[in-house]
Amino acid sequence: MSKETQMRAAINQKLIEMGERERLKELLRAKLIECGWRDQLKALCKEVIKEKGLENVTVEDLVAGVTPKGRALVPDSVKKELLQRIRAFLAQQST
Amino acid sequence: MKMEDMSLSGLDNTKLEALAHDVYSDLVEDACLGLCFEVHRAVKQGYFFLDETDQESIKDFEIVDQPGVDIFGQVYNQWKNKECVCPNCSRSIAASRFAPHLEKCLGMGRNSSRIANRRIASSNNTSKSESDQEDNDDVNDNDWSYGSEKKAKKRKSEKNPNSPRRSKSLKHKNGELSSNVNPDLYKYNYSSGISYETLGPEELRSILTTQCGVVSEHTKKMCTRSTLPDSDTMLENDGYDAPDGQLIMSRLQWDGSSDISPSDSASSKASTNNSESKRPKKKKKPSTLTLTTTGSGGERDKGQERERGDRDRVVCGGSGSSSSQNALGLSSRKKRPKLPVPPALSIYDDLN
Repeated sequence: MSKETQMRAAINQKLIEMGERERLKELLRAKLIECGWRDQLKALCKEVIKEKGLENVTVEDLVAGVTPKGRALVPDSVKKELLQRIRAFLAQQST
Repeated sequence: MKMEDMSLSGLDNTKLEALAHDVYSDLVEDACLGLCFEVHRAVKQGYFFLDETDQESIKDFEIVDQPGVDIFGQVYNQWKNKECVCPNCSRSIAASRFAPHLEKCLGMGRNSSRIANRRIASSNNTSKSESDQEDNDDVNDNDWSYGSEKKAKKRKSEKNPNSPRRSKSLKHKNGELSSNVNPDLYKYNYSSGISYETLGPEELRSILTTQCGVVSEHTKKMCTRSTLPDSDTMLENDGYDAPDGQLIMSRLQWDGSSDISPSDSASSKASTNNSESKRPKKKKKPSTLTLTTTGSGGERDKGQERERGDRDRVVCGGSGSSSSQNALGLSSRKKRPKLPVPPALSIYDDLN
């Protein structure tokens, strides 16, 4: 295991332990709903369903069809804010 | 994992940034996955497309924007101008007045019975003044008539002449004490504006022969309880005061001055009621004795009468004085409340 992966694992562990990950998750969820990202993605899901047929849709279909676009559709402001918080946390941890 | 291994300060900024981005993308992916699971479940459970309605239904429930009609298309005052036919009197009544009309028409409901009673009573009254004895009897049988109600009300409304309010207005006239006696016979009077300094000796005497005169510490007012004989109050008070009598007596004897013999002091107080008026000016009463006997002069008296009459006789050593004291006690059953007055007077003088 490289040092970086080790580092990453350690960081993640720290995040979870301190509850920071949950907090970040909630923050992101709220922000995405607020900015309408969720509705956009739901519409995308509808298209996938109509494409694949209501009965045959699987989770994998949805995930594969929606996630890449979802990542791209996140507004910049939300992204910036989240990155800021993560950096702050990392800075905290290094001291 | 040691902190040194994890030390982020060793990393350069790019790596740090990369790390942050990794964390961020993890979070976003979590969010996306969450959404996909929700949607998938909704699809499988069949509630995903519920918010979509067909065009026809949408048209049915479209918001209405016409004048005179609400958004559902209903008219507001549709029934305002309509008229209904009364089943009783077969008249056509306006809809908003229909219910009250029906009440009166059918003779049911609260108001109609009241009005009917009033009509009966007034007709009774008008007929009564002209009627004979027989008619009077009939009317009297009718208990629930307005006339009898009126009489009862009148009786009630006649105010109690002995009420505190009445006597309050009378009380303030210092000169007219005779009028005060009647109300005071029954009740305490709290609105006394009299203080002992302002009254002259003659006035004081006349007041204190008829009333208690104890100045309350709390209200600084004179107790105006009547001093006339009343056996009921005595019975009530004695049982309560008896236990205190002993304690007080012992205290009195300890204080030991010329007045110390309790019976003597009691009798002296009883007999010197008339000279009380002079006391506030003289200020000669020994203060120790007065303090101990302030609230308990009366109690002492009662206690002695009840249980320690014998002891008194022994203490004072003379049957004459004790009998006189007893006689005084018996005759002054109502005067008892007066006994504390002299000490009270001097106390307040001292304080003042």
